[in-house]
Amino acid sequence: MSNQVQLDQPLQNRTGKRKGASDRSISKYISYLFLLSLCVVWVIPVIFGISTSFRSQTEVVSSGFRLFPEQWIFENYVAILNNTSTAPILRWLMNSLFIATTHTFLVVIVISITGYGYSRMNFKGRDTLFFTLLGISFFPGVVNLIPSYKIIDALGWVNTSWAMIIPGLAGMGNIFLVRQFMNGLPKELDESARVDGASDFRIYLSIIVPLIKPILIVCALFSFTGSWNDFLWPVIVYTDVDKMPVTAGLLLLQDIYGNYRMIGQLMGSAILAIIPTMLLFLFAQKYFVQSINLNSGIKG
Amino acid sequence: MKKKLNLAPVFFVGPHVILFAVFVLLPTIYGIYASFTKWNLMNEPVWVGLDNYKTILFNTESTFHTQFQNGLKNTFIFVGLSVPLLIVIPLMIAVALEHKKVKMKNVIQSILYIPGLISISAAALIWLLIFNKQLGITGNIFGSQIAWPTNQPYAWLIIIVITVWGGVGGNMIIYRASISGVAKELYESAELDGAGSIRRFASITLPSIRFPLIYTFVMTTAGAFNVFGQPLMMTDGGPRQSTHVLMMYIRQLAFGNGESIAGMASAMAVLLGLIILVISALQYYVMNRNAA
Amino acid sequence: MKKKTLFSSLVLVLSLTTVLAGCSNEDKNMITFWTPLTGDDGAYMDQLVKDYNATNPEVKVKHVITADMYTKVSTVLNSGKGVPDLAIIHADRVPGFVKQGVLEPMTDLIKAQPELKQDNYLPQAWSTGTVDGTQYTIPLDIHSNVMYYNKDLLKKYNAESFLDDNVVTIDEMLSLQGKLDEGDYIVNDALLGWVILAQIQNLGGDIQENGKPAVNTPVMKQALESVKKVADAGLMTPFGEDGYLMFQSGNVLFSTDGTWSSTAHAGVEGLNFGVTNVYSAAPDKFTNRSSSHLFTMLKNKDRTEAKVAGIGNFLEFIRTNSLEWAKAGQIVASKQVNESPEYKDYMQSFFTSNEKEIQSLYIYTYEYYPYIAEAVDTYCGDIVRGNVDIDETLQTMQKFVEDKIAEGSSGAK
Repeated sequence: MSNQVQLDQPLQNRTGKRKGASDRSISKYISYLFLLSLCVVWVIPVIFGISTSFRSQTEVVSSGFRLFPEQWIFENYVAILNNTSTAPILRWLMNSLFIATTHTFLVVIVISITGYGYSRMNFKGRDTLFFTLLGISFFPGVVNLIPSYKIIDALGWVNTSWAMIIPGLAGMGNIFLVRQFMNGLPKELDESARVDGASDFRIYLSIIVPLIKPILIVCALFSFTGSWNDFLWPVIVYTDVDKMPVTAGLLLLQDIYGNYRMIGQLMGSAILAIIPTMLLFLFAQKYFVQSINLNSGIKG
Repeated sequence: MKKKLNLAPVFFVGPHVILFAVFVLLPTIYGIYASFTKWNLMNEPVWVGLDNYKTILFNTESTFHTQFQNGLKNTFIFVGLSVPLLIVIPLMIAVALEHKKVKMKNVIQSILYIPGLISISAAALIWLLIFNKQLGITGNIFGSQIAWPTNQPYAWLIIIVITVWGGVGGNMIIYRASISGVAKELYESAELDGAGSIRRFASITLPSIRFPLIYTFVMTTAGAFNVFGQPLMMTDGGPRQSTHVLMMYIRQLAFGNGESIAGMASAMAVLLGLIILVISALQYYVMNRNAA
Repeated sequence: MKKKTLFSSLVLVLSLTTVLAGCSNEDKNMITFWTPLTGDDGAYMDQLVKDYNATNPEVKVKHVITADMYTKVSTVLNSGKGVPDLAIIHADRVPGFVKQGVLEPMTDLIKAQPELKQDNYLPQAWSTGTVDGTQYTIPLDIHSNVMYYNKDLLKKYNAESFLDDNVVTIDEMLSLQGKLDEGDYIVNDALLGWVILAQIQNLGGDIQENGKPAVNTPVMKQALESVKKVADAGLMTPFGEDGYLMFQSGNVLFSTDGTWSSTAHAGVEGLNFGVTNVYSAAPDKFTNRSSSHLFTMLKNKDRTEAKVAGIGNFLEFIRTNSLEWAKAGQIVASKQVNESPEYKDYMQSFFTSNEKEIQSLYIYTYEYYPYIAEAVDTYCGDIVRGNVDIDETLQTMQKFVEDKIAEGSSGAK
């Protein structure tokens, strides 16, 4: 309210500055309060989950709430890591690394090129095509598992990593995001380059890609974690437990710990499963908020 | 010159169209075909025409009709409760994090993002323990005597809590990446003009990120319509099936115990798909118009 | 720097490709054996397979553990490729699979292995796989709904006499009404649907009449109402609270969960527990609703005779050597094992200790049992807690099952 009143008044530089400054320190406190209270609510369950993975079943079921275990035990992790015949975790981690890096690498190429096509190029039926594909992708594919398997089988990809890497490239979500992001970039950027005689590929590579780098990193992160909740597909396409990615493998483990209500083990396997992605996130996060200077973008 | 320009889009869009045709379109067509059949996943589907749709939509006696109705109603409740929170909270976080003087941005961001990485079964167990009367926070610290998963409105509350807890991260980083692209000069000149933070948010931030905003709105809604993990793990659809969402019924029909009823499941999925389609088209149309 | 990362990641990817490509060896002379046994169960089965392969058989067995096995089975049967040579399925899947014609009869295999016969197994585990006189499965185990009791609490409430005749009746449980400390309960609601289905047998009823599903019956109503009495008296752990964990934390006298939980309960320090039959609504009868893990051969044209002979050998090996499986908490189906002295060390040997106990392990073999179990599981909680009208809900349940049957491949159009 006060802001609006203030804006309606004829502006004097000095008062404006002072008001802006005090406004900023108030908003700083509000921001802090909001963020910190959110963080507390968000982090307690995570800490509780981690600490539970160090609890014995005896302690889990003993009454009363304790954020940290009375006695830290490592048996849960020992049990998970020892079960190498049915749950070869190191193997799974290697598989995941291969699948995720290849998949992410290809995703970034496919979505940036396709996004450029749908956002910066003019061709007949462009938007119709885009929205048709997007619309089709909204249909929940419940029984699609069967035809999808047949296609993968016809391609000879059953029990290979390609079954995990390639089908995901067909998704529309990330392309939609990239397209939306590109639509926000001023058209003058590529128009002036085009006047200078640059080809589409050149504009894509040297003007657009640098500008959308943050969102490409976000998409890379999403596709790295993308198959997270989808554990049915890996179960279907892999015959060997040995070849599974870590998330699907650990979900398989959790299934059993869940059924047998071995709570510490279940938590332990969930914690192990998030470590690779968490590391990636910690590494990637400084890139996707890196601020872009539109002016220098044109020069490059 | 003109001919050259006409071929270029094929190179940019074509490869993905092929991938899409093979891995999305074909299976989807098969799924739609299955919705006109009686099928147990193992034998060849038997064509029954519109029977499945007639049963689901018009046969008020049928279990499938009641399931569809109840499931759809509950799905709409979930969408209505979760989507606004999954848009507003991440946006507020992103704006607050953009504040120059806020420190430890990466730590805060990580804390808010990490829950989304935890698998739904483990997340559900954590929260069920927290909401457990003997072992958790609500009973021991706040003295709540209620069994949350089996009493409304608490059953919805815990489903929404776990959804928001695990779901803000994705949209948050999209907003962060988008806002960081807004030219700093715009804010600085607005500040010189004496614009307060709310005003700056409304007149600079929001318009600058309107395209990503449309994206998050459409995709978050579409995602919410597909919900099933959270209610399945937290309440198992109870009490009295009041949190039993449509996707849970669909999956039970297709992959439940006993012989699969995949044709009926497909028909329900197609209907759900049509609803998602209409709603997201509407969202896109309205938001795009307002933004333009 | 950027180029460097790109390069090194490419190298990594390429080297991993070769690593992964190197390990795909599809041996034609191997019996592919699928099981839904994840976690520790899978490890015990792995050990059995390893032991068998160590005997140097002509055809070795390759154990593949598959979560969501039934979805996967549908997928491979539908595409006709990649069907396993041998699989473990649950008892309630047998009638449906036989009807859909996806199981291979065991006739030839049994001819070659004379010891694979009914007399050598628990009778119901064997007969579950018999459809119209043809044997389709060989049993591995019976796993059952059972009732664990907390010895200390039984003593505290002077209720040890409940166990005298091996049947804890609902009336006995009700006799403790008003005598419990706050926060203590007589029984939890673990596997409540199975408990209800056991009461139907105790009360002399069934879930079918001449092949038609019978859910909305006086017996079903009586079964639900007698369990409801326990809940109404405040003796059952509250709705929506984790009764299983409450048993482990020592606040509940009886827990109606499964044979397989014994190892988990044993992991809780200070929990002094034993096992008995699930409580009964009748004074003189007790039933433990059971299922069974069964070996079976899914239809597969490529299965050679040598492989079938190999499977026969493997199953005979399991029959004589499956003591390992007792570690999983399950009731081993082979008599040679469950009558051996070593087996007596396992808690679940209680259920094979005499004829009456063996008979109490009841496996439903009705074709549409899965739909009925689903209906009971979906609705019994709300009925027992008095959240819904029982007559109306029973009608809904009956309709639920009938509608599903009508949609099946055999249902009337």
